Amino acid sequence: MTLINRPPVAATPPILAQGAEASPPPRRSFLRENPSIPWFLGLLTIFTVIVSVLSEGLGIGALSTSMVKILGMTLCLCLIAIAMDVVWGYCGILSLGHFAFFGLGGYAIGMWLMYARTEIVIRDSMAGAVLPPTDAELSEAVAAQIFGVVGSSELPLIWSFAHSLPAQLALVVAVPGLLALVFGWLAFRSRVTGVYLSILTQAMTLALALYLFQNDTGLRGNNGLSGLQNIPGLLDVPQAVLAVWFLWASATALGLGYLLFAWVVSGKFGSVIRAIRDNEARVRFLGYNVEGYKLFVFTLTAIVSGIAGALYYPQAGIINPAELAPIASIYLAVWVAIGGRGRLYGAVIGAATVSLLSSWLTGGGAPNIEIGAFRLMWADWWLVLLGLGFVAVTLFFPKGIGGLFDKIVRKAP
Amino acid sequence: MPFLARLLALILCLGIAAPLAAQTPLQDVLQANREDVANPSRGTVGEVITALLAADAPGTDAFLRQWQERALVEDPATGLFFYATEVEGRQLALIDVDTGVEAARVASRDVTAIRPNAGVRREIGAALVRFELSAPDPARRLAALEAIGRSPDAEQIPLLQAAIPDEADADIRARKERLLALLNARFAPDPDTRIAAIRALGGDVSTEARRMLNQILATEQGFAPTLPQDRNIARVLIPGQDLRPEEAYDRLVADGLVPGRADRNSIRDALLAHVADGMVGGLPTHRMADPELRATAHDALVAQGLVPPLVGEAEIAATLADFVFFDAYLEPDPAVTDAARAALDQTDTRLTLFQWLAISLDALSLASIFFLAAIGLAITFGVMRVINMAHGEFIMIGAYTGYVVQTIIPDYTVSLIVALPLAFAVAFAAGVAMERLVIRHLYTRPLETLLATFGISIALQQLAKNIFGTQARPLTAPDWLAGAISLNDVVSISTIRVAIFVLALIFLAALLLMLKRTRLGLEVRAVTQNPGMAASMGINPDRINMLTFGLGSGIAGVAGVAIGLYAQVTSEMGANYIVQSFMTVVVGGVGNVWGTLAGAGLIGFLQKGIEWFNPSNTLAAQTYMVLFIILFIQFRPRGIIALKGRAAGE
Repeated sequence: MTLINRPPVAATPPILAQGAEASPPPRRSFLRENPSIPWFLGLLTIFTVIVSVLSEGLGIGALSTSMVKILGMTLCLCLIAIAMDVVWGYCGILSLGHFAFFGLGGYAIGMWLMYARTEIVIRDSMAGAVLPPTDAELSEAVAAQIFGVVGSSELPLIWSFAHSLPAQLALVVAVPGLLALVFGWLAFRSRVTGVYLSILTQAMTLALALYLFQNDTGLRGNNGLSGLQNIPGLLDVPQAVLAVWFLWASATALGLGYLLFAWVVSGKFGSVIRAIRDNEARVRFLGYNVEGYKLFVFTLTAIVSGIAGALYYPQAGIINPAELAPIASIYLAVWVAIGGRGRLYGAVIGAATVSLLSSWLTGGGAPNIEIGAFRLMWADWWLVLLGLGFVAVTLFFPKGIGGLFDKIVRKAP
Repeated sequence: MPFLARLLALILCLGIAAPLAAQTPLQDVLQANREDVANPSRGTVGEVITALLAADAPGTDAFLRQWQERALVEDPATGLFFYATEVEGRQLALIDVDTGVEAARVASRDVTAIRPNAGVRREIGAALVRFELSAPDPARRLAALEAIGRSPDAEQIPLLQAAIPDEADADIRARKERLLALLNARFAPDPDTRIAAIRALGGDVSTEARRMLNQILATEQGFAPTLPQDRNIARVLIPGQDLRPEEAYDRLVADGLVPGRADRNSIRDALLAHVADGMVGGLPTHRMADPELRATAHDALVAQGLVPPLVGEAEIAATLADFVFFDAYLEPDPAVTDAARAALDQTDTRLTLFQWLAISLDALSLASIFFLAAIGLAITFGVMRVINMAHGEFIMIGAYTGYVVQTIIPDYTVSLIVALPLAFAVAFAAGVAMERLVIRHLYTRPLETLLATFGISIALQQLAKNIFGTQARPLTAPDWLAGAISLNDVVSISTIRVAIFVLALIFLAALLLMLKRTRLGLEVRAVTQNPGMAASMGINPDRINMLTFGLGSGIAGVAGVAIGLYAQVTSEMGANYIVQSFMTVVVGGVGNVWGTLAGAGLIGFLQKGIEWFNPSNTLAAQTYMVLFIILFIQFRPRGIIALKGRAAGE
């Protein structure tokens, strides 16, 4: 294998230089090439406006605050689903680890939320003391408050920056990004591909979840971080209003993420990663640095997953290691597959449909169906139906729900 | 009760007791200590027992036993003691303590029951040991020996010595000799006997021998201006080296020799005690958030003599220089402690060896479980390049099959014999059905099989939950599998794990036989190596795929029964093994039974090895193991035993 035709490495165009070439045929404009973008952004804006108008916090109150939160969280899930779609549907890497990055983003922001809020509480409770507390006493009291539940009263080293919002925001990006970079570099350079790579990413997720489950690793073990819905500095703002603000933030992030990934997967870069998906060896023989492309996509999507997580968990209010369990990442793949791989809006449709249906049906919102003497309890049978439905989608509709759009678009003149 | 009968009884008992008064040695002793027998307390019971043993009347042991078991009564009229046994109605039969003959029948309220408390009964029990040691019933002799083992003391040495020559049972005799050796090591009055006994215990890894040696080597902490000559010093502790200076200083504080050292709250507490009018140490309290100002205020208080100066590191070091810290043995004789130390060192060497053995056995058993769980996966993955996420659910199906069989067939042995092949058959059928219905259509899209089988996996899991409920179902092992095989106090392994190991060996042998010696095996290997070529040689890959998938699933079903026997059967049990199974396959290398064996061995031994370093934290062990596997894949991406040839490039 090594003997045959080494590609002319020196002539290889540098990665990510696609903006520079000017050779014919002339490229169509970015938006013309991606007609889904205006549609998607338009619909997202309309959705956000409608929810805001109907919300309890700023509108007429037809939608409860918890419903607004669920919708905001769903937008975050759509964002990570897009990331998953890029790494899997476009680049062919079936990562079973992106929910771990999502969780890491949540932990990074959760540390600040929890620390800063506890600090405010402690400061208030110490306000009446004869001697005002020193900084050391304050942080000691905060640590005792946060870590009492795991039998410790010292602030672990990884909480060194927890008092600072900018530092933790940087960590939201840096931790998932670095982890993905190191892991991806190790995995791709030893040419682990296909199902092996999937299992390896799953192993990474498992290791991370097991690590976080330990009490002495400094993130409160299986208690996780809680009270994240209280935003320090905005404690006077009612939750109903906060929920709408987070909905706007999530919608903005989703819109920007959609634009970013649409730009990434279009043009020459997009062609190369699709080529890697379809035949990796051939792309390598053509002289492309396959590992570099894969590593870039893997890391970028991990960062976006981390951001999605950082927006999700303040709305959820609590994060614990169970959220990072390997099964969550598999569900992510399921959403994308049901929605339709290889198209960004497919991922959004899949994530929104399945996660909303799932919380509606298992939350007892749906009426049970009487079939003769048999009573179909949705909470019991939803997973069975989801599993079988998923098999059916894989077998008969490999393009997922998004495939339906092809038929509509082709019918149009 | 008719009055006449009572009278009669009284006369009867008096009538019998009176003429025999001359031959009632036991009753005499009891009457001599009447008050203490009737109302025994821990303080007085010793004297009574001493008197009884000194009199050495026949039946003393029987009396002690009855006394201990609260079967003794006193006749309030005469003050005589009897054993009482309940007969019909509320009647008591009174039995003479000397003759053992029934003396009378009375109503239970006519006599005073003697009820020694727990402490007294323990004392009586200790006194009984000497009789029990040569009791005719071997079980009672063993119980007495056990009592000695639990609370050994010096007085038991002569008793044991006396009980050894007449012992007929070889096992009990050995046990007596062993206990005597242990007692000698700890309590023998003669130092030479002691040292000899201690030396003999060297290398004995049993818990009791180690405990005995450790008790001899028990130390207490101490300190003095100079090292005392009259103490048996175990070791001298140098502050800063063997113990933290703060700790050493705190020992001095505990004895009230020096003032307490400053901790992080000392300054605050001192300041708080001297706040007046919003000022402390000449500074306003509201500025006290600054640690430096706090120090200034504190210095001011010290200067005024209101608070003692802080004991800082320098003061601690200066104080510690005046003292020697040491650990001293409680045992005064250095020759004894030296011998015990030498014996314990000898034991420790053997102990380490045995611990290694124990861990290896543990690891072997874990490896065989991983092997059983993963081998089916390895076969399907090897032949078809299909990752079966529902493999864990086949394990679950097997386990539930075992459970259902057990509810129908109550005999555990029979039900196990029925369950094993039935679990194979059920899982085989489920596997073939899945292959025909789903996987067959996805051979060209291996990543999608992963997802489709995951769909099946969540459906099956929920289905099992709907049918069997969420709580764990027991799969009970037959009695002959329930115990444990133990070599000594360190090395022991439960029979069920041995059985699983044997089962894994059987499967290994059967699979190798099938793959290497049968037509089917030949065809399976051909399809594994090159499906296209195999097809052109007339092998029907469709059939092979179907059979392989069924076989892999069937083995998972049998593994499910085995796993269910020692863990509980739940709908999630398969999911708990699936990631480990994947890793076993990936580490071992696909398409090869030996590879899976190597993978299972590596993972099993690795996990136990890491657990050995940090036994309290199995989560950490698993974390590190997964990290190791991720790194391992870097160096051998195709596993320990990699396929060679064109098939390897897939």
